[in-house]
Amino acid sequence: MRNFDYHRPTDIAAAIEAARADGAEILAGGTTMVDLMKIGVWEPQALVDITSLSELEGYDVGSDRITFGALARMAEVGDDDALKTAAPVLTESLWKAASPQLRHAARLGGNILQQTRCPYFRDTAYAQCNKRNPGSGCAALDGGETNLHAILGGSDACVAMYPGDFAQALVAFDAEVTTKGPGGARTIPFADLHVLPGDTPHIETILNRGEIVTGITVPVTGALKASHYLKARDRESYAFASASAAVGLDMDGDTVRDARIAIGGVAAVPWRARAAEDSLKGGPLTEETAREAGRIAFADAVPLEGSEYKIKLGADVVAGALMTAHARATGGE
Amino acid sequence: MAQTINTAVTRTDAPRKVTGTATYAADVLPAGMLHGALATSSIAVGTLTSLDTSAAEAEPGVVAVLTHETLPDYKTVKGFYAGGPGSASFWPMEGPEIKYAGQPIAYVVAQTAAAARRGAQLISAEYEVGTPNIHMDPADSFVIGAQGDNKGMVTTKGDIDAGLAEAAQTVDVEYTTPFQHHNPMEMFSATAEWRGDRLTVWMPSQSVRTLRGGIAAAYDLPETSVRVISPFVGGAFGSKAGITPYTMLTIAAAKAVGAPVRLIVTRPQMYTVATFRPESVQKFRLGADANGKLTAFEHIEIAQTSQFDAVVNPGTHITRAMYASPNIHTEQRLARSDTNTGGFMRAPNEMQTFFGLEQAMDELAHKVGVDPVEMRRVNDTDRHPVEDVPFSSRSLMECYDSVSEGFGWQNRTPEPGSMTDGDWLVGYGCATATYPTNILASNARVRMQGTGNAYIELAAHDVGTGSYTIFAQIAAARLGLPVGACDVVMGEADLPVAPLSGGSTTAASAGSAVHDACLRIARMVATEVTARSEGPLAGLDPAQVTLDDGVLRGPGGQSQPLVEALAATAAGEVEAVGEFRHPALTDQLIRATFAGGYGTAGPVTPEFAMFAFGAEMAEVHVHRWTHEIRVPRLHGSFAAGTILNRKTAHSQLMGGMVWGIGSALHEITEVDKPRARFLNANIAEYLIPVNADVREVRVEMLDEQDDYVNPLGVKGIGELGIVGTAAAIANAVHHATGKRLRKLPIRMSDLV
Repeated sequence: MRNFDYHRPTDIAAAIEAARADGAEILAGGTTMVDLMKIGVWEPQALVDITSLSELEGYDVGSDRITFGALARMAEVGDDDALKTAAPVLTESLWKAASPQLRHAARLGGNILQQTRCPYFRDTAYAQCNKRNPGSGCAALDGGETNLHAILGGSDACVAMYPGDFAQALVAFDAEVTTKGPGGARTIPFADLHVLPGDTPHIETILNRGEIVTGITVPVTGALKASHYLKARDRESYAFASASAAVGLDMDGDTVRDARIAIGGVAAVPWRARAAEDSLKGGPLTEETAREAGRIAFADAVPLEGSEYKIKLGADVVAGALMTAHARATGGE
Repeated sequence: MAQTINTAVTRTDAPRKVTGTATYAADVLPAGMLHGALATSSIAVGTLTSLDTSAAEAEPGVVAVLTHETLPDYKTVKGFYAGGPGSASFWPMEGPEIKYAGQPIAYVVAQTAAAARRGAQLISAEYEVGTPNIHMDPADSFVIGAQGDNKGMVTTKGDIDAGLAEAAQTVDVEYTTPFQHHNPMEMFSATAEWRGDRLTVWMPSQSVRTLRGGIAAAYDLPETSVRVISPFVGGAFGSKAGITPYTMLTIAAAKAVGAPVRLIVTRPQMYTVATFRPESVQKFRLGADANGKLTAFEHIEIAQTSQFDAVVNPGTHITRAMYASPNIHTEQRLARSDTNTGGFMRAPNEMQTFFGLEQAMDELAHKVGVDPVEMRRVNDTDRHPVEDVPFSSRSLMECYDSVSEGFGWQNRTPEPGSMTDGDWLVGYGCATATYPTNILASNARVRMQGTGNAYIELAAHDVGTGSYTIFAQIAAARLGLPVGACDVVMGEADLPVAPLSGGSTTAASAGSAVHDACLRIARMVATEVTARSEGPLAGLDPAQVTLDDGVLRGPGGQSQPLVEALAATAAGEVEAVGEFRHPALTDQLIRATFAGGYGTAGPVTPEFAMFAFGAEMAEVHVHRWTHEIRVPRLHGSFAAGTILNRKTAHSQLMGGMVWGIGSALHEITEVDKPRARFLNANIAEYLIPVNADVREVRVEMLDEQDDYVNPLGVKGIGELGIVGTAAAIANAVHHATGKRLRKLPIRMSDLV
């Protein structure tokens, strides 16, 4: 690990000031940052530890909106009983992520900015990585192993997969992110936070240098209460999704009034499947329509060598998640 | 004194381990110690053309950067498979040649571990890059034996083609298993301290004497000048058996800088600087008559090896011992690729071969239409099918009967896909487990005091398995003392000779030497007390005095507790060196073990075939939406001779079965083909079971008496538990889904 300066400001203005400097990075739980620093992928000159900014802690489960401070811990939110009832997709996508140790350390603001697990990004022995080393190429696409890479949203420059779970729930339910930075405060639709890799995979979000995520807001909707996060993984816990789905349904009798679908473990960024949602609206939710929605969610998928299975797996996971959401929406669970 | 053998005794070292007072090799802090770190090659095949160490040297705290040009000379030793003490025969940093990815190219010594690691990150290398192949080409395989000839690597009995021709049903199938890495919790480390020409090395090891011999040879030192210390080992599983490059480089670095140096190998580096389980292909052609009785048995194993060693872990030697067949053909083949040399990984001959064999038997049973357990029963045999000697004991079907009952095998409906539980497809599968009873020479020194204490010393190891406890139990039982009064000292090369802790041999071989030392003590005490004028045994013929659970007994019912008799002797203290020399051990084998090698007799001797057996049953659930595969129940019944400690044995067997879940469903070292690198060299992405994957695991240990294997009647259990698990799970997956998956690991991606 490269030596670095360490700052722990106690007010946000000082944090922004320290974080806008060249080579500075923001540190919260550190579960990604410190990991990548140890293996030499990230080499910041300075870390700005924001964990003393107590105003960014906590969360509130309101009747029309749910708000999270950026420093709320994955564990405390994932274990919250009131939230479990109000918005199961939010708690499920948190407690099914990582391990208890990581969930206790990791904060929500950092979680949504989680880095890819692309092995080529993580191994500095590979000079070729457009994300880590812009313009150097992509070892995955250059004959490498791609069974865990993005089949949606990738580019010729990068097929790294966004590995997070909570972000799928946020993108499906129209969450917003609040920030404070050198240019002041702003609110960003969650769907706009991450940017597709295109030709510049090293640019991952629209956040500016020194801009600190302060919170996340999720509007309460009918579909949020009857929501579900289904995560298919090769082991029961502490594994990234092979495919996952964050879904919710608002039913008007037998008719789908509103449907929400986002898919994880398959795309370059948190991925909302709007066409699949639209296919359900105004019709019944049956095993057949659920499976069709799953297929539509992956209609534009471009499988890479070894990842063909993800199209079928992902479609099945969307369908299975919808069946559970339907049971929740209709009092079946 | 209560009987202590075959009871559940809590580990004597448990309090030290859970309170952090057990001193592991990397806990020592010699005065003035510096820290090492490895820089490794990014390419797999080629030549180092330049190495820029200037940035590393400029890093604060860095003391020295050693390269192939500046490393002090030592004599390299051969790898294990070439008859030497090394983990491989190719030694990095001897020159600019690169033969595998992650090969050490520079060694940084610094005042802190952080500075050393940073220094290693700052080294930049340029290469002339060759084209590597990380996967073997099974079509380009060859046969090679331990001595470089084909001896024993090909077996033919009867006529395999004729046996297949007369069969009612046949299977002709191929199974593949991947590269796997041991990932012990305790990292690899080495700490070396030179004092003049005397050297001390602390290192977690399964074979301190192998280490000492090889290190002494490398520096032309007498073995008395080299101390190797490994008091506790935090998991080894075969990965800490030989002398590895990181050991030799640390010793050389300590010499270069004139100070003690410690290296802790990083987790990713653990994937390349030591051994692993090579990938393999298992080919089976089996034929059976209408009752399932085998008419033909062919097994060809093709295992991966490096370009510079021939890793022969002959699994066909084990599979061919399992079932009766008039026609048998086996071949042990290798194919090369560009990796470091593989080695032993828990059940090195058995895990991957039984994944093949026991699925092939299941496939054949399915075709014939017999129950899989019945398939094993009709092919059970009391004689080794090739060597034609009886088994010293074989309780395979007793294991099947017992596990079937507890598991509820009779509830299985034979048709695949016929059992469900809500959204889950349910399958039951079974498989045979076995492990050869390897026999190695051993010594052990026991000193007993009339005050009621005993001290047991031997150069054996507790690799986390409970050896400290079972040796204390053996001495306690023989000498009539409480277990807590028997102190065991191990893990130092200077102690009495004991073999490498591998191949499930420690309890059987070293334990038998402890047993023998106790008998010698009894004879010595009997000789002295019978010669005295007073006492219960006075005047008796010492040859007629026997030791019975710590009590000396005369022919006429006279008796005296050994400890009391000892207290009555002049010295009040006695010491004996016990030996285990099984009749099947030749002088050559004994000498090999004494030289730090692996001089094993067995599992087949001129008189008997010696194997432990077991039967495992798995219930597998496959989810209809996510295709996730889970194992809610895994039962195993095992018969392995005398069980010394029911608690540690249970843990060993259960640990093997848990690892088997990982082998079946999780474990694979992913590879990057074009550049021949391992991709998931960390324990976040190299999947092993977590607690939630391990639900009901039931272990049953059957009584079995075997008077031939050794005086204790002990067969090894360290590896037995893993052997049948992957096949039992694969067979259950087939039963649940109708899909036959012939590669490891089995993932949901195979079931969509």
